[in-house]
Amino acid sequence: MTTNYSTSSNTTFLNKVQSMINLRLLRSSMAYVFLIVFAFTTIFPFLWMISTTLKSRGAIFSLPPTLIPDLLFQEGMWDAYVEVWTQHNFLRYTLNSFFVAGAAAVGQLVTASMAGFAFARMKFRGSGFFFALLLSTTIIPVEVVIIPEFLLMARLNWLDTYLPLIVPSFLAASFGTFMLREFFATVPEALVEAAVLDGATTFQIYKDIFLPISIPAMTTLFLIAFINNWNELLRPVLYISTPELRTVTIGITTFQNEFGAQWNLLLAAAVISVLPLIIIYIFAQRYVVEGIATTGLK
Amino acid sequence: MRHGKITPYLFILPTIIGVFVFRLGPTAVAAYASFTRWNVRTPPEFLALGNYIELINNETFWLVFRNTLLFTAIFVPGVMIISLLMAMMVNQKLPGIAFFRGLYFLPYITAMVAVAMVWRWIFATRFGVLNYVLTNFFMVADPPAWLADKTWALPSLAIVAIWKQVGFQMLIFLAGLQGIPATLYEAAAIDGASKTKQFFNITLPLLSPITFFIFIITVIDAFKTFEVTFAMTGGGPNNASTTLAFYIYQNAFTFGRMGYASALAMFLMLIVGAATFISFRLKDRLVDYAL
Repeated sequence: MTTNYSTSSNTTFLNKVQSMINLRLLRSSMAYVFLIVFAFTTIFPFLWMISTTLKSRGAIFSLPPTLIPDLLFQEGMWDAYVEVWTQHNFLRYTLNSFFVAGAAAVGQLVTASMAGFAFARMKFRGSGFFFALLLSTTIIPVEVVIIPEFLLMARLNWLDTYLPLIVPSFLAASFGTFMLREFFATVPEALVEAAVLDGATTFQIYKDIFLPISIPAMTTLFLIAFINNWNELLRPVLYISTPELRTVTIGITTFQNEFGAQWNLLLAAAVISVLPLIIIYIFAQRYVVEGIATTGLK
Repeated sequence: MRHGKITPYLFILPTIIGVFVFRLGPTAVAAYASFTRWNVRTPPEFLALGNYIELINNETFWLVFRNTLLFTAIFVPGVMIISLLMAMMVNQKLPGIAFFRGLYFLPYITAMVAVAMVWRWIFATRFGVLNYVLTNFFMVADPPAWLADKTWALPSLAIVAIWKQVGFQMLIFLAGLQGIPATLYEAAAIDGASKTKQFFNITLPLLSPITFFIFIITVIDAFKTFEVTFAMTGGGPNNASTTLAFYIYQNAFTFGRMGYASALAMFLMLIVGAATFISFRLKDRLVDYAL
């Protein structure tokens, strides 16, 4: 009897555990089903983009469409990329984009860190006013300023140069200033006092203490500014007319106008322009997400 | 920290120059230009309220405004519902959840012109994968031409814009969800409240300040939408997908009507400014709430 009793209690206990595990499994597998459905919707356009670039011209327009491209691991698999890269100058456009986005981002680091340092650690008349001015002007839509800005650039003879793509971005770096001000405000005062005792000037404190200590925040700002400027569309479209000076975004735009339905080429160009940012994102995701969460793009 | 009297001004000088030369100055010029007839080649000619009167009487403007409202009416709820769902999904403690979080955010950092190309290809009437799926799996006999159709062009743009935008709003919702104390859910579970009840009685109310904040920034995004229109339809067919920001661009740089475009820009700024003002007022309450 006793043995019987104990076995039956054992089985119920095991059953209970079993059903709990089952419920857990069911719950989490349901969760994964939803996660994967959303993931597929998110990623599908990218997959379709890559797939189309690896198709031959005939396969692109064949029905039913296939996700697995016909040139996969075949000869001529990378043809679309080679053509876009060499014959349509996208190598040059990519380098241009790197230069413009890099220069604008480095510029933002300089101006935003200087202003952020002053706003965080110095007391001066009008500091509140200037800071409020800096932040409140960010709400002005680009559509408002772009017309006068365009005429200003024309006056300065800056049309068809990179200056209009770089200078406005790094001189009015409001979000960067805001972000670095927040970061600089957390630096312990003791560090500053020690430096003062050693006879450091204000500029030395900025350069030798605040800049090195804020490398993570600066990295974040650099990446955000780089992504922003890399993706910029309106200004390159307005300001750049020489083909050799095109950035990738304007490269795609003009390419679309000239080679409308050559999807493999068009999408190879799109992949080339998106890939550098995806690589940056994969390797520096923490910085990118953190920066965008606190400041937003644009 | 001790410092010279002019030192701080030197530190903020580049940024302040930028604010005046590239923000305040141009805004003042645009405000003035909105009262003039100005076609670039000829000097501006004072019109008083002429541009604003034209704007009110211009049928295209009202069409564009209606388009912008319709876009907003699809984009805002779309972004908010999907991003909240995503945030709740990636807020679960499951192995590999960080991967999904990172993936959902990916479209947000890519260039609109680039992803717009593949969406144009997906939406293509005859060989597009969307219409293939619709006709063959959902038995839609005569699927629309999407971007070339005057009814469907604008909703198609909104879908692409939603797809690209949701990752950002997801992040903000996620921060909000993580700010809700777990003890509340535990207490509710002990009282026997179902998951659905917990969602409507704990999650939604406690998330409401953040929800309103997201609502405002999403509305602003919707009103400023430009790149998706520029890259996918160019406002076509027949202005059916022209939105306000794109209409400003067209008037200024295609038609060369700087004065009229400036009046439109002022109108846009008024809407965005009002929305921002509300959100700033709200943000203060949001901070209090969090404490």
